[in-house]
Amino acid sequence: MAGIPYTEALSRYQIAAPRPLRDSSLAVADLLEQFHPDYLKNSTVELKVGANKGDRCHRDLARILQSDSRIDDLALAGVEVLETDVLVIGGGGAGCTAAITAAEQGVEVMLATKLKLGDSNTVMAEGGIQASIEPSDTPQMHYDDTLRAGHHLSDKALVELLAMSGPEVVRWLIQQGMQFEVNKYGDLLTRKPGGASAPRVVYYRDYTGLEMMRVLRESVRNCKVVVREFSPVVDLLSDESGHCAGAVLSNLSMDAYTVVRARQVILASGGIGRLHLNQFPTSNHFGATGDGLVLAYRLGAKLRDLDSFQYHPTGMAYPCHMMGSLITEGVRSAGVQILNALGERFVEELNPRDHVAAAIIRECAEGRGVLTEKGVGVWLDTPTLERQQPGIFERRFPKLVQRGKQGSVDPRQIPMLIYPTLHYQNGGVVIDVNGQSTVPGLYCVGEVSGGIHGRNRLMGNALLELVVFGRRAALHAAANLRRSGYHRVSLEHLSNMRRELMRLGEDMTYKGPQLFPDYANFDNDPDYRDLNYRIILGELGARIRKLVST
Amino acid sequence: MPEYENSSVLNQVLLHPNSVVGADLTAWLATWGGQGLRSALAAPESIIDRVREAQLRGLGGSGFPTHIKWQAVANEAEGDKYLIGNGNEDEPGTFKDRMLLELSPHQVIEGALIAALATGINHVIFYINPHLQRAMTAMQQAVAQWLESSLYPEVCRVVGRTVELQVMPSSGYYVGGEETAAIASVEGSFPFPRGKPPFPAQSGVHGKPTLINNIETLANLSHLLRNGVAWFHSLGRGGNSGTKVYSLSGDVLNPGVYELPMGITLNELIFSYGGGMLVGKKLKAVFTGGPSNTILTKNDLDVSLDFDSVRQRHSSLGTGAMIVVSEGTGIVKRVAEYVRFFADASCGQCPPCKSGTYYLSMLLDKIDTGHGRRVDLDAITNLCEMLPGSGRCHLIDGAVKVVDSSLYHFKSEYEQALRQPRARVV
Repeated sequence: MAGIPYTEALSRYQIAAPRPLRDSSLAVADLLEQFHPDYLKNSTVELKVGANKGDRCHRDLARILQSDSRIDDLALAGVEVLETDVLVIGGGGAGCTAAITAAEQGVEVMLATKLKLGDSNTVMAEGGIQASIEPSDTPQMHYDDTLRAGHHLSDKALVELLAMSGPEVVRWLIQQGMQFEVNKYGDLLTRKPGGASAPRVVYYRDYTGLEMMRVLRESVRNCKVVVREFSPVVDLLSDESGHCAGAVLSNLSMDAYTVVRARQVILASGGIGRLHLNQFPTSNHFGATGDGLVLAYRLGAKLRDLDSFQYHPTGMAYPCHMMGSLITEGVRSAGVQILNALGERFVEELNPRDHVAAAIIRECAEGRGVLTEKGVGVWLDTPTLERQQPGIFERRFPKLVQRGKQGSVDPRQIPMLIYPTLHYQNGGVVIDVNGQSTVPGLYCVGEVSGGIHGRNRLMGNALLELVVFGRRAALHAAANLRRSGYHRVSLEHLSNMRRELMRLGEDMTYKGPQLFPDYANFDNDPDYRDLNYRIILGELGARIRKLVST
Repeated sequence: MPEYENSSVLNQVLLHPNSVVGADLTAWLATWGGQGLRSALAAPESIIDRVREAQLRGLGGSGFPTHIKWQAVANEAEGDKYLIGNGNEDEPGTFKDRMLLELSPHQVIEGALIAALATGINHVIFYINPHLQRAMTAMQQAVAQWLESSLYPEVCRVVGRTVELQVMPSSGYYVGGEETAAIASVEGSFPFPRGKPPFPAQSGVHGKPTLINNIETLANLSHLLRNGVAWFHSLGRGGNSGTKVYSLSGDVLNPGVYELPMGITLNELIFSYGGGMLVGKKLKAVFTGGPSNTILTKNDLDVSLDFDSVRQRHSSLGTGAMIVVSEGTGIVKRVAEYVRFFADASCGQCPPCKSGTYYLSMLLDKIDTGHGRRVDLDAITNLCEMLPGSGRCHLIDGAVKVVDSSLYHFKSEYEQALRQPRARVV
């Protein structure tokens, strides 16, 4: 790939006043068509089995959707069987919100999560949460902005609920104990997200999601929710009428399966970034391997927009070991400019994300990017912003400064090098206004659900969505528990999938869901090597291990 | 009859394309419909004889000769008589009646009218599980069409009274499919089974003589009367008559509803029609569904699927449901699931059934999850001796039968699942 090497480009760079925007010479639609990764040739295939047979789907996603299950009946012989009213799958923002809300309704709740409670993409959300609370703003404008950014492909009923619930959600979060930035009168501060018509995002520093997860996690610990950590779900269970009837957990610490029979299941298992679609780096956390889509699809749930993903424009591109880490859109809201290697400003920074990302990819593809050892990128002109608003980074973007320090790049002195990073799955499981999927008894909330964001999401709508629909799904699920009684719980839906695959003569060697990224290597990873010891033997085990190793 | 001839023996009668016309009376009458009924109208007194000669048996699971029930109702004095077409279908693995009702409601209604002609019944009630919504809708439409048709007044004339046709949702409980429970349900109370005698043929709905037939049994009648006894015999294999609708499910490639000659072998059903086993696994066992769930094993692949041959293998044909289980499936787990179903379905009237199913289920769960000991298995064996026949209906017998049958074939699997007593360390 052509471009200007990092050191040379850096020596050319100068702090300067705002620069004029270069003429784009490409209409937005053409820009997306030619440069957005969703439109890459050969990146999608047609699904051959399941509820979305015939739909276009990303190649890597199709592979896991049409994979064989990791288990069959044999795996369930003699395993522990637990029962609960509501099973929540996923320990991120949506899962915790749903668990808290359901528990408040007085039903039994169990929450199972692949990693630790709160280890999720929610903590990666930096920008903030949208709510139309400014005098100059209305839910109608929020609704219009969301629809427009999603290219008018969203489910309007869902977007309406989303926009209308914003202020109430912020109030609920404050009641839970979440902090937001306020002015000296105590009014919430807002900033303007890319693609919006008014300032609307309330935030806390540049780690809003982390703050939100902090309070949600505490709330979960403080109510009667049974939490099962390190227990990814390997398959859902169905009963004789096709209802979702629970799940099979893989208990990582004990190396055993557990069957959980549940009267309602809320799936909040998040996104797919760690599949590194189109070889992009990702801003997602370690567990984002699209498990929820696979689980729901096998049970017969309808999915949508499987070929649409969000590439966040400002992922770090230098230093190389931090590739893909997110730089919040808040920086762009604050007025930073994006420049190519020649120092030209080539895109309006506050356009929707897909537009900005495609523009950056175009600069790099046409040889105006900055080359590093492993990749390419463009400048995020942070020093100029610091010059214009001294102290802004220290005050409002402490996480960014910290991250810069880790990579020996001080954003106040040197511009950050950025390149789009795989950030969000726009589509997902089709849901209704109560978060119900097309399979009775299965609710889907958060990133795993689809239809709210169309083909492109606005900043701050993800955090909003997970609270709005997490709460709605939990309330609906708790109020509509099935008559307790006998249901023949089985893996029959897997047989249906296998039948279809067998008839097509598909290769069934690949097993899904993936659970962990390809490069996960637990034997060599010191963070996970101790996992069994820590959990089985607790503190004692860790100490013994320490003694042995010294 | 040339028109019934088909290149294969699959779906020759009840699920033949000419039968499967949905709730469309004109289409049904244009092909095969009405002819059986006209033949019955011409000679109503000979119907029961023809049914007897044809050896038609109750296809809802019992295999009880149909003509005996009919004769008993016909012998009762003139007056209100009831027919209940039993479509409460709720057993695990059975899904044939819903298909018949949905795809071909008219042959069922015509069959019911023939039964009314033979026995002088003036209330015909189609008793259908409310969970089978599509079947219910099809039946309601079909009944409305019959009431408008020209054949209906004919039937009323021959019976001598107005024959009332009615579609009634059942309670949706499994136990509601039992004969006397269905009667209680039709009377408007909770479907508690009653003791026999008196048998329904003497004293059923509101104390009146009542005939209860399965949907599949009724569906056969119009074809039987139209084509004659000899034809009906020629359909079956090995001395059996007619066809059977099998519900095939479990670990086979092509599960579904298959109408095949009565007496086809299990091997043929699974491997010729079911497409063989799923993902190349081996067959381990087949649960035959119905009021009593029993087990056939891979040694029984040659068994001819009719009421008597299957019974000789310590099993029963039941409703014709075949749930295929492959190697690698725990029998104890499957049986525990079944018994749990029975424990939940028990109406609680008879103490041995209420607590017996509960304890069986508890003990099986214990063994299945690896906590069972030798005494638990002994307790199960004892319960299997004590419980049969202790209830008003056969629910408890069904629960015991599945356990008994699995112990007969797979005792070693139970024993392996037991927790070994810990060796004492000196």
